[in-house]
Amino acid sequence: MGLPERESPVGKRVSLFVTCMVDMIYPNTGMSVVRLLEAAGVEVDFPMGQTCCGQPAFNSGYRDEARTVARQFLRAFANAEVIVIPSGSCAAMVRHEYPTLFSDEPEWHERAVRAASITWEFTEFMVEGLGLAELGLKLPTPRKYAVHDACHGLRILGLGKSGRVLLDAVENLDLVSLKDADVCCGFGGLFSVKMPAVSDAMLGEKIACIEACEADDIVTGDVSCLTQMNGGLSRRKSAKRVRHVADVLAEGLQETTDA
Amino acid sequence: MSSRDVILKRLRKAAQPFQDVPPRTEHMAMVPDAPQTPDDLQSRFVAEAEAVGCTVYCVTSQEDAVTHLLEILREHDSILSWHESHLPISGFCEALQSQGKTIADPAATDVRVGITGADAALAVTGSLVLQSGTGKYRLTSLLPDLHIALVKASQIVPDFETWIAQQREDHLSAFSESSNTIIITGPSKTADIAQELILGAHGPKQVHIVLLTSA
Amino acid sequence: MHNDARNFVALSDVAIADADLRSAVALATTRAYDKRMVALFEHSPAYGEAIRQQAAEAKRRALRNLPDLLEKAESSLTANGFHVSWAIDAAEARQRVLDIIRQHQGRLISKSKSMLTEEIGLNAALEAADLQVIETDLGEFIIQLNNEPPSHIIAPVIHKTKAQIRDIFVRELNMTPTDDAGEMVAFARQTLREYFVGADVGISGANFIIAETGSLCLVMNEGNGRMCTSLPNVHIALVGIEKVIETLEDYATLDQVLTRSGTGQKLTVYTNIINGPRRGGESDGPEHVHVIFVDNGRSDVYATKYAEALACIRCGACQNACPVYRNVGGHSYGWVYGGPIGAVLTPLLEGLENAAPLPHASSLCGSCKQVCPVDIDLPRMLLDLRADLVDEKVDNRWQMGLKGWALTMQSPMRYELGAQAARLGQRVVGTDNLPGVLGNWTKYRDFPGFAPKSFRQMWRERERSHRKEQPS
Repeated sequence: MGLPERESPVGKRVSLFVTCMVDMIYPNTGMSVVRLLEAAGVEVDFPMGQTCCGQPAFNSGYRDEARTVARQFLRAFANAEVIVIPSGSCAAMVRHEYPTLFSDEPEWHERAVRAASITWEFTEFMVEGLGLAELGLKLPTPRKYAVHDACHGLRILGLGKSGRVLLDAVENLDLVSLKDADVCCGFGGLFSVKMPAVSDAMLGEKIACIEACEADDIVTGDVSCLTQMNGGLSRRKSAKRVRHVADVLAEGLQETTDA
Repeated sequence: MSSRDVILKRLRKAAQPFQDVPPRTEHMAMVPDAPQTPDDLQSRFVAEAEAVGCTVYCVTSQEDAVTHLLEILREHDSILSWHESHLPISGFCEALQSQGKTIADPAATDVRVGITGADAALAVTGSLVLQSGTGKYRLTSLLPDLHIALVKASQIVPDFETWIAQQREDHLSAFSESSNTIIITGPSKTADIAQELILGAHGPKQVHIVLLTSA
Repeated sequence: MHNDARNFVALSDVAIADADLRSAVALATTRAYDKRMVALFEHSPAYGEAIRQQAAEAKRRALRNLPDLLEKAESSLTANGFHVSWAIDAAEARQRVLDIIRQHQGRLISKSKSMLTEEIGLNAALEAADLQVIETDLGEFIIQLNNEPPSHIIAPVIHKTKAQIRDIFVRELNMTPTDDAGEMVAFARQTLREYFVGADVGISGANFIIAETGSLCLVMNEGNGRMCTSLPNVHIALVGIEKVIETLEDYATLDQVLTRSGTGQKLTVYTNIINGPRRGGESDGPEHVHVIFVDNGRSDVYATKYAEALACIRCGACQNACPVYRNVGGHSYGWVYGGPIGAVLTPLLEGLENAAPLPHASSLCGSCKQVCPVDIDLPRMLLDLRADLVDEKVDNRWQMGLKGWALTMQSPMRYELGAQAARLGQRVVGTDNLPGVLGNWTKYRDFPGFAPKSFRQMWRERERSHRKEQPS
């Protein structure tokens, strides 16, 4: 994959990068992540200096603007031991793009490489980083879920398995398959508003697969994809929705802590 | 300066790309477990050839080969054929003439069946390797509706890579002596019309292989 | 070929509204995609990836040595009896073909499929010179009758349904109407046969030129390529300079990843290795074979960070994998090459200003890179082209907006103020019709709205209550 090597994060303090979309639109998802990390015995902090990873500007070709925002990320996480991000695309931005983004600025490049080598996407942190295949979770009522593979996480970070491993281990959760699970939902960041008709055409294909799927709802690891898919499902008056993997898992946490 | 010079100059002026691509010492074959023994080669070849739509007749003697051929050719009066010296069976022309059939001029464009030998066969793809040459006409395996190939089992090699390795040992004869080598893998086909697979787009609709085996 | 890439958005709007087009393209691409998976990884995923690596290296070695390799190829081709010439651009290539045809007094030309000849607009030039050109690949034949360009690198007419093809044959050739594909193919076979036999000149492209042996290699399934290169007395092959490869072993790898990636076949029906005009006692085959090395912008690309785009072996796998292509088809990209490779090659060969929308015609899902048999990093190039659009000021219309956005995101305080402003604005504007370009979101999808309390606020409250709980 060409990504920087990482040391084991076991026993280290985790600094959460919650992502701008989770912060502003899905704060409960951020809380789910915190509760799951703490249930796994991890000390979590939240550097208040964080804002955004800079992806929207980077993907649009505005690299100077992306660097401006990325520098703030690097400042905010300068003292982090481990960074966990509940988003494949933001984690990919840090791991895959930050080092090259600063290739002409030695001091920032060093900080970027460091950040890239301590960053984990949330599900890979749990499964690969901590070695936890399961957390003793049980959903309040039996539910069928299917996974949609968010593109950046799947193809840049190689995440295919970690989300499924965690979900599969939850009691009362029946994991079924979604047709074309690894086909893009059409979000693509600003692509969704720059080429809205194409984005919506791709969304339509994804929704057809979701409707035909036997799952009650869909799970994914990126709120960006989730926003695209739910935006379409709700506009088309579908009963189904897409949920973030942390929220589904945290529901299973609720049950065991109450029991 | 000619265009050739301009192009080469531009390419040489550029910084050389991909400088760190390593040389390759060992070539991996596309199919790693290709059959090697005569029996395996034969059975794999037959299976693959049939899978791509060829009809294969295994015969153990020249007489059987001729019998099969005449059976296939029952409705054809005129046939195209490679020169007999390039076919692995003898007495073929006589047998044809005794049945009242004629071998047409090799340049004829309206003959519906063509008979060739082969220079090699590839087991893992069910392919025939035909090299052009004196008396080994290109059009015989191209224009007719039906192409019949006479192949000896001993000509079957495991795969494309093995064929190339053998060519190297053989002073690249297929490249130096022959103007045209064609590797044929089944009858002509197209899926251009709404993905429906149809045989006989332009080349032969049918390929029959008469395979001469030793046992 | 005329370049309409600037109109990607308008062209794709038309395509998206065309149900027939979308179902035809989806059928073809998903089928090819599935077949590729089976064919390339039939032994194991790891082995398939290793072969891909071998193929990627073979093309890159050839590109690294390109000028020397071209000279070597010229030398070995010439020794084999080919006439080799070079054309710097489309105009020169067209003129060279015309000169050769005139030299041999050709009138009827049979043509085997070649995307390069589309690129240089060859057919129009030949027709303008009063020559009759017949496209003989079935898909190309159909689109020639309908006066439109190909929509896919290896399967030119995937954008048409069977009924549409039937109507073209009925209208242009008086075919008796039929919905049987077999009958339609038989009709085409019969119609084209007289052209094959009557042609004085055959024109083709080349999939590979092997420098080591001086060979011109073609892959095909129908056999029309063989007809064009064996029946007429003159064969002219046009080859992009990037098509030269080093050795026979490289050829074996590249030919087989091409077929497995493009159509899922272990080998195409015909794998043709042409080593020159007829020789010795051969009585068929052309007496004259010309190879024209065409540059048309490739040597310029070679000198840039986009040189990797020249590794493309024109298999079409990226088009089959791309969800954008699947929904809009090849014509939306406005030029010869569509899909991911088209989004990269068109700006590189035609100029960024003539293809500005194309690098943005992608959600960057990465499927193209995943399937490319020679591992071209198409997403990387799309991102770099997007940056070029801004840096070269071809399209930097979002600069003011993103500068403002960056200034906001640079400071946590400004960020929080901005988020607060958005929450307040939401109370006024609602979430049904977002303002400005964000209206493009609500035109098609619902927007969930900003949460009343941000995560940061929740975290602060949580920290405060934790501190209260702890004895100091």
